[in-house]
Amino acid sequence: MVDCFANPPYITPALLKESTLAFKQHSVLPGFNLALGYTLLYLSVIVLIPLAALILKSTQMPVAQFWHTISDPRVVASYQLTFGASLIAALLNLFGGLLIAWVLVRYQFFGKRFIDAMVDLPFALPTAVAGISLATIYAPNGWVGQLFAPFDIKIAFTRIGVVIALTFVTLPFVVRTVQPVLEDLEKELEEAAASLGATRWQVFGKVILPTLLPALLTGFALAFARAIGEYGSVIFIAGNMPFVSEITPLMIISKLEQYDYVGATAIAVVMLAVSFALLLVINGLQWWAAKRLGRRK
Amino acid sequence: MSIEIRNIAKRFGNFTALDNINLEVKTGELLALLGPSGCGKTTLLRIIAGLETPDDGQILFHGEDTTEKHVRERNVGFVFQHYALFRHMTVFENVAFGLRVRPRNQRPSDEVIKKKVHDLLNLVQLDWLADRYPAQLSGGQRQRIALARALAVEPKVLLLDEPFGALDTKVRKELRRWLRRLHDEMHITSVFVTHDQEEALEVADRVVVMNKGKIEQLGSPTEVYDKPATPFVYQFLGDVNLFHSRVHEGWAQVGDTRFAAPESVGDKAMVYVRPHEIDLVREAGPGALQGTIQHIRLLGATVRLELDVADQDAVEVELTREQQQTGGWQVGESVYLQPREARVYVPEHRAATPTAEWSAGGGI
Repeated sequence: MVDCFANPPYITPALLKESTLAFKQHSVLPGFNLALGYTLLYLSVIVLIPLAALILKSTQMPVAQFWHTISDPRVVASYQLTFGASLIAALLNLFGGLLIAWVLVRYQFFGKRFIDAMVDLPFALPTAVAGISLATIYAPNGWVGQLFAPFDIKIAFTRIGVVIALTFVTLPFVVRTVQPVLEDLEKELEEAAASLGATRWQVFGKVILPTLLPALLTGFALAFARAIGEYGSVIFIAGNMPFVSEITPLMIISKLEQYDYVGATAIAVVMLAVSFALLLVINGLQWWAAKRLGRRK
Repeated sequence: MSIEIRNIAKRFGNFTALDNINLEVKTGELLALLGPSGCGKTTLLRIIAGLETPDDGQILFHGEDTTEKHVRERNVGFVFQHYALFRHMTVFENVAFGLRVRPRNQRPSDEVIKKKVHDLLNLVQLDWLADRYPAQLSGGQRQRIALARALAVEPKVLLLDEPFGALDTKVRKELRRWLRRLHDEMHITSVFVTHDQEEALEVADRVVVMNKGKIEQLGSPTEVYDKPATPFVYQFLGDVNLFHSRVHEGWAQVGDTRFAAPESVGDKAMVYVRPHEIDLVREAGPGALQGTIQHIRLLGATVRLELDVADQDAVEVELTREQQQTGGWQVGESVYLQPREARVYVPEHRAATPTAEWSAGGGI
């Protein structure tokens, strides 16, 4: 056999990556100290100090009382609704978002740019406006609600309403994370797979979907995190019945209205912990995706 | 397996990518489609593969019409310029892909797949990279993996679209020699597209020179280089000097020099001389043109001189370093050029059949 490649001359530069631990680096860009100092100050004032204060405030109550507050059956029911409905909404958008992104990237049709712009609407709309309009439409005498009323299906003021509101506000996440990846997907990959004998479904399942998976997961996690914290658009359509359609952010508000600041912060700490865990998962996914697809710097 | 291309035409909007192409690829040969970008060579390759559908014409594999067959059913191996490896799969899984997507009743067992993939990776000498991801490989390694992946399905035809186009010169030269040796071992009917005439002449059994959606010439590398059928082929296959001249009584006149010209309709003729086929002398002789040296450039083993010749474009002359040293040519010197070889092209018929538009004449 040929032996001109017996000693491969290629050493991947990534393997020789130099340490990035050095705090100060010589750079053509001046102002590192000033910029880093400002960044840290800004992050502290805007993000870290309020969060630290929140945790500090919650430590004012004894552990037993803290546990009692966060494990109150009514609060636990709100966790179930918030996390359950958020999960369903994020799952719905995982499929719907992928479909919308697919249609927007793969097909050319009249009004495509308009639809593309409409995807961002739930983002741009004040959540209260979204809440009122959803409540109006899905109420038993609303446009959509009256279609379901004869079958004795109530949407507004039930858990279904909560899921609908959360699905509405978290729509853009999956679309916007998947869209650029789908746009960058080389046509050659699909052609290569087809020339190797793969059917259309195999191409989708074995080539396209795995490439989109990291983006899908990121979009899903973002949508889930956003749904958990959503307040404005939900409270109108939820009806806020104890043990049925009360979401966790509402529990915090109601505690605040009763001047139970410590109790409110206790629940807030639980939500903070969950959000933080989700953020970790999102970053982990992005790191994994970058490593997997070789985009790591 | 032979490939027959019959009257293939393809248009993209107003642009004619392929204009009535007829071509036969013989069983087991390595054929190069050579031409400048936009000449339709890649489109033709993609039509053979079934990645593009022709507007008109037929593709026959071993006498069987495959024009309507999907790329999936044609059993062709296709190698892309930018590798098109699946980034989320290891090298091993990339090569195994074609075997794993087979219908369940035709799919080989894991053992068989494993053996086959390692055999192929050994063939491309990259077995030690089996567990890596494509992102961790160099360009040359990726292209060899892409080739192994294409060979895994035991294609009857191997199609390569500018396979070395994205690689640097040194790796490209190594890889094309390696491809030639691989082809000598496997004898699989192969067509590869390139815009690099050196690559085509070095690797291919036969070369198809294409321009503007048409075939200009088909022949062995020696044939197309030594007997270019049209001015385009002559110009595309190396550097040239062009002298405009008029035909008078069967001779094309350039200055006081004349070249034998074939029969023609008009009196216009074009005389082509390659830079390395010109001798420089200090004394006037028969068939010599006078010129002044404007520049002398050193290009590694050769020296390139640029001369001004009356009534003509600048003329380039290529000498070996030895010739330059013995001659001792200086900038500004007035010298005489003696073409050793020249080709004269005259228009044969005005607006005649497109394939025989030019006729070539002999030397001096």
